[in-house]
Amino acid sequence: MTSAPAAPARTAGETSPGRPAPVRRRKRLRQALTGWAFSAPFTVLFVVFMALPVVVSLVMSFTDLRSTDLRNPLAVNFLGIDNYARLFSDRLFLRSAVNTLVFVAVGVPLTMVLALAAATGLNSGLVRFRTLFRVGFYLPVVTSIVAIAVVWRFLLDPEIGLVNNLLRLVGVDGPSWLYDTRLALPSLIVMAAWRNFGFLMVIFLAGLQAVPADLYEAATLDGATRWQQFRNVTLPMLRPTLLFGGVVTGVGYLQLFEEPFVMTQGGPLSSTLSVSFHIYNQFGFGNYGYAAAASYVLFLAIVALSAVQFRLLRERS
Amino acid sequence: MRSTRLATAAAMVLAASVALAGCGRDSGGGQDEAKSVGGGKASGEITVWAMGAEGEKLGEFAKEFSTENPDAKVTVTAVPWDAAHQKLASAIAAKQTPDVSMIGTTWQGEFAKTGALDPTPPDLIKKEDFFPGAWDTTIVDDTSYGVPWYVETRLIFYRKDLAARAGFPDGPKSWDDLKAMAKGMKDKAGAKWGINLQPPTKTGSWQSVLPFAWSNGAEVASADKLNFDTPETAEALRYYQSFFTEGLAPTALPEGSMEPGFVKGEIGAFISGPWHMGIVEEQGGPGFKDKYAVARMPMKKSSTSFIGGSSLAVFKDAKNRDGAWKFVQWLSKPEVQVKWYQAVKDLPAVQSAWDDQTLSGDTYLATFGEQLDSAKAPPAIPTWEQIASVVDTEIEKLCKKNADPAATAKAIQEQASAIGTGS
Repeated sequence: MTSAPAAPARTAGETSPGRPAPVRRRKRLRQALTGWAFSAPFTVLFVVFMALPVVVSLVMSFTDLRSTDLRNPLAVNFLGIDNYARLFSDRLFLRSAVNTLVFVAVGVPLTMVLALAAATGLNSGLVRFRTLFRVGFYLPVVTSIVAIAVVWRFLLDPEIGLVNNLLRLVGVDGPSWLYDTRLALPSLIVMAAWRNFGFLMVIFLAGLQAVPADLYEAATLDGATRWQQFRNVTLPMLRPTLLFGGVVTGVGYLQLFEEPFVMTQGGPLSSTLSVSFHIYNQFGFGNYGYAAAASYVLFLAIVALSAVQFRLLRERS
Repeated sequence: MRSTRLATAAAMVLAASVALAGCGRDSGGGQDEAKSVGGGKASGEITVWAMGAEGEKLGEFAKEFSTENPDAKVTVTAVPWDAAHQKLASAIAAKQTPDVSMIGTTWQGEFAKTGALDPTPPDLIKKEDFFPGAWDTTIVDDTSYGVPWYVETRLIFYRKDLAARAGFPDGPKSWDDLKAMAKGMKDKAGAKWGINLQPPTKTGSWQSVLPFAWSNGAEVASADKLNFDTPETAEALRYYQSFFTEGLAPTALPEGSMEPGFVKGEIGAFISGPWHMGIVEEQGGPGFKDKYAVARMPMKKSSTSFIGGSSLAVFKDAKNRDGAWKFVQWLSKPEVQVKWYQAVKDLPAVQSAWDDQTLSGDTYLATFGEQLDSAKAPPAIPTWEQIASVVDTEIEKLCKKNADPAATAKAIQEQASAIGTGS
């Protein structure tokens, strides 16, 4: 056995000076092997199911792989950055990018404001029915988007919808929300904010409850109003929570897909087509290479947005 | 540490891309020879995938085939329509296909081009038995890769009472008739809308628009040429648009409100396929069948509608190729096609099946049968779905934003030729 001479040395500890070099090297190797053996289950799974597909999809985005190449996926042409260049002259892609940016730029602040308002309300007043409200606001988050879509399509129906019937009560002739190019995207933004703010509300509520009560006490003694307290105590203390909420919501909204998919199919006139939806369509058309390129552009946008948010909301030292 | 990891990743990407760049696509296609099928009865297990109602009913229906061929066993797997395309694509990539699958006509080009489908053996299946428009949907690179199973085509559905008051008791015959009827229904008969035309909801409006272009003599698309930008197409688009600009057709009808509108007499007419007979008769209740009628697509240079439906294809990787083709041939027998119509209401793709009293005795169905003789399908090219979505998008602009018809034809052609025919 080759390991036999090394065995007694183990008790002496690593730094024993008199040991010959080959033994030490062999011991290192053994340790490394043991380490790898222990992490092998994770490493193998990670490489096979995460790293490899990511690398393959990245390579795919530089080729003209189409669904007709399914039986022979290696026989494709290498295009370089042609797919990426084509994306930025694709009118539908640009349109979907603008739609998605509008959705994020309006939707994220709206959702956060709603969530913060609800969380503050629950945290200070409304003590009696707190659980009820918490469940009520959280319910849309756990409800299937398909069920929500059915209900909202009823609400927004131009003829029999609740929204337009209420508008009719005050003498306004409501528009056909989802079939109007100017109103379809705003309608989806409102719906998404309604659907998602419950999740942030729970997070913010936890953040609010972690703010030490003596800070408010001190602020009250200093004569600060409620608004000043909110502005100068709550918000700064909540900064990390807000950052988390902003990043999570932003990343989610950049991948906007379900709402237009179930509500408008990207219409009317592509006014609710999102980048994810466009990618989905391209995969459906069998343009795998092109769709993969679009996915990587979306991925970079998500990274960029997260970086910006981290920078903006980072703790000021 | 970080730089080594980056370097490794870069090396992997580089290696993979070098490997890929070395391959390149070989110019395949067209070398497929149809092989003949052995004689005698079918034997062994035949695995079949089918979608929707067909998938649910085919297993039971195929028992008769097993009675005729005692050694054969047909195993049907029902696949939901939503997942079918993906499932077939995965099966082809993994070379784990069933022996036979039902295939949507617009998928034919894509799947045939992968080289996964077996060419139709001409000694077993006769081209002349089928509607020519249906047979064309199976042709890729001049070779047939499947057999039409059932078909559907589009007709004008109209309310008889409103049409009579509008002065067209026998329905519209020509383009001018259709326009005048829609106008009369709105002005004289009190309908809110003379006709409903796609797109209030966008998807698939090309299926309503292309028939008008075809009826006007436009070729539009063939296997190797896309030709949307012609005066004939532009004229058809202008005609189609005029229903919207003259306020005869709604631009923003919510999904699902067309059928109730038709039943109530608010919408005088619409264009759709045979499934809508069942829908309006159910919503209209007893007696509604006498209140509406169907008419062939109005005449211009011809009366040409759209033909859709599904085909049956046998895969090259089939384990039981002979049995598979024999099962497909059995499903294409006229008497079996009639029975299949009785089981699931799928219209037969085999012409002689229409001589049966079940179909020819019903005036509504007979009209569908007449229309099928001349109905056309888009070419079976792998890029058709993508081109169709371009057509849908541009049609929507034409109808809702009042885009210029000639410019629309041009815009469709520009984008379609950028997509190409995928050959």
